[in-house]
Amino acid sequence: MSAVHVRVQVRGEVYAVPVEQVLEVAELGEVTPVPGAPANVIGVRDLRGEILPVVDLASVCGLGAGEPARILVAEHAGHRVAFAVDEISDVNPLSEAEQETESDLLTGAALEAGSLVGVLDVARIFALLDRQEAA
Amino acid sequence: MSAPDVEFFEIFRDEATERLDRMVETLLAVEAGRASDDAVDVLFRDAHTIKGGAGLIGLDDVRTLAHAVEDVLEDARAAGLLAPSLAEPLLRAVDLLRGHTEGRGEPIAALVDELAERRRSAGTAAEPAEPSRPSTRRKATEQRSVRVPAEKLDRLLDLVGETVLHRRRLEHALDGESQATRGVEDELGLGERLVDELKDAAIQMRMLPLASITGPFPRAVRDIAAVEGKEVELELRGAETELDRVILEGLSEPIVHLLRNAVGHGIEPPEEREAAGKPRVGTVLLAAEQRGGVVALSVADDGRGLAPEILAEGEQAGSLVAVLARAGYSTAAQVSDLSGRGVGVGAVKAQVETYGGSVHVESRPGEGTAITLSLPLTLALVHVLLVERGGQAFGVPLAQVEEATQVNGTLSLGGKASLDVRGVSLQLADLADLLGGTAPSPVDKPPAIVVAAWGRRIAVVCDRLLGEQELVVKELGPLLASLDCYLGASILGDGRIALLVDPGALVDAPARRRRREPVEVEVPTNGASPNGRATKILVVEDSFTVRELQRSILEAAGYAVATARDGRDALERLAADEEIRLVVTDLEMPEMDGIELIKTIRADPERSDLPVVIVTSRSTDEDRQRGLDAGADVYIAKRSFDQQALLDTVESLVAP
Repeated sequence: MSAVHVRVQVRGEVYAVPVEQVLEVAELGEVTPVPGAPANVIGVRDLRGEILPVVDLASVCGLGAGEPARILVAEHAGHRVAFAVDEISDVNPLSEAEQETESDLLTGAALEAGSLVGVLDVARIFALLDRQEAA
Repeated sequence: MSAPDVEFFEIFRDEATERLDRMVETLLAVEAGRASDDAVDVLFRDAHTIKGGAGLIGLDDVRTLAHAVEDVLEDARAAGLLAPSLAEPLLRAVDLLRGHTEGRGEPIAALVDELAERRRSAGTAAEPAEPSRPSTRRKATEQRSVRVPAEKLDRLLDLVGETVLHRRRLEHALDGESQATRGVEDELGLGERLVDELKDAAIQMRMLPLASITGPFPRAVRDIAAVEGKEVELELRGAETELDRVILEGLSEPIVHLLRNAVGHGIEPPEEREAAGKPRVGTVLLAAEQRGGVVALSVADDGRGLAPEILAEGEQAGSLVAVLARAGYSTAAQVSDLSGRGVGVGAVKAQVETYGGSVHVESRPGEGTAITLSLPLTLALVHVLLVERGGQAFGVPLAQVEEATQVNGTLSLGGKASLDVRGVSLQLADLADLLGGTAPSPVDKPPAIVVAAWGRRIAVVCDRLLGEQELVVKELGPLLASLDCYLGASILGDGRIALLVDPGALVDAPARRRRREPVEVEVPTNGASPNGRATKILVVEDSFTVRELQRSILEAAGYAVATARDGRDALERLAADEEIRLVVTDLEMPEMDGIELIKTIRADPERSDLPVVIVTSRSTDEDRQRGLDAGADVYIAKRSFDQQALLDTVESLVAP
């Protein structure tokens, strides 16, 4: 059995997020910069009356700043973050079994059509973001 | 419990809490011999109602104990007097009842027996209480009320906020339409009034009187006074003053801190008071008063006042609060002594600041100390001046904007820009710089607003003033909570987001920024040891930014700095480098946490006396205690992190 995942692209790499941790996907929209915020927080965005921090997934993954066009809203322990990504590819079960990886941002990785898809560890990423202090 | 049971239980608990609070208050009055005539009746009714409710939902212990209390009171009613000596066991019964309603059920049998025994020895009543009860069930004038879960109210207020926004968007959209008919304009005007009234009504529902949290305070003061060997009376004034529910809930603990300080440190022992010609019994006054959109809440004692050296330091620093709050940073040995007072004040200040409020301290030697918390009436709406900088809108609470002016020319004083505002020279700073951002140079002759907080003023440059607005405050969320320069954000009529700036952070920012600049430290003498080589400090911290920030602060002050990512890494560094004279560590880290690290250091005979300073975002008293128990010398909370405090601490610990 393979759980359903949302696949996103950042700087040519493909990552997957378990669908139950994804609240919604949307256009990037208007992002208001927050002076003094950590570098990977590109700003805040209004999503139907709620202010969400927008985090650049590319820089979280150490790929340098991305050029995002969409957001993926994830929720963990009652708080929400919009991850800015280049593209949302599809929503499907992972085709291959997950394997362990060394990255502490991933719960595992799967080989799909010859390329590696990293499965993001949302809880871990939230914890890392929470711990980083202002720039 | 099934769902309806849970609901009943909550209703019961809410009501019981109110009644138990009142019982404590009344019993304390009885004990002090100043009970009102109807004290016994009031107590009886409360005990009776609690008993009835408990019986309904099957809390047998509560019912039995409340019944025993009722019996004692029944006797007292018959005798026309409740002996002050009975107050003490009854207070214990109330505590036990409260425990049961809050889910901490302790055995009741012993107390039930004791109460029965007291009745027997009083010899007033051998026969059980009559089942006939007073017919004071419901007075016609009693206010009708409905209990509503707080979340529902918040949802309502949220929707009202959205309605306000919707109106603004509508106005915005109609602005361009010159052909809006008279009828449309009339309807818009009516809509505005309705929305205003709706908003006020919704906010009103979020408000609760101070009295809703003061219930346990008289008892707390009595107990603390008993432990400290003091005689103290708590006076409440303005308990009917209403405040935002969220603020009230968060204030309960800080107020207890302040009361504890007032009794423990402020009020003198009875003999000392008499010798000084004061009444034997000290007074602590908890008073609340609404002044415009602000509620002033103060805890004042008529005790000995603050130590002269603290007053002098406050004079010099321009703020007593800052000195008291910082006292919490001093070494562990002093914590229980004078600055024990500071530990509380630091926590209180932090709490009050999260609500956009401020703390003020006044003290006179021999006369007492008053700590005043200025709090906004509500957290839901804030009246701001909107300004633009770098194409972005920012809101500054209007209460702290003194005036707006234009920068026609600046003076330079000691390398810092300043602006002459009606004969007074104020420091001038760019809003973008103050917030830690960047923006293109402001326009020629830009506007500046004079912001006042903490008794300091600063002129802040922006590009444009956008006008006043009342905004619905939304949280920025935990991810951005470490940015103390923002109170939150609001969505404007045109859909843009305005960040709400904390005036306190604006007046503080230049000082913080200056200390961070290594160039400003003229001669790094602090760290130089007698042989001319710098004292070496190990910084243990898993966050790269915090680690590097601490490194730069310490290096700028002349120390040599080694770093480690976690406890295990730190132990390796320590083993490899004998020159390390002090460790600065975080608590929460992967691999090995700060507590484990300190314990390991303390257990090592070679390093058992190596000074260790904890710098952490965990700031509860419990965390502090855990850190100090493990063997840390000093505990600094990051939320109120102050670079000078870190440097002072380090200097005092490595001094020969």
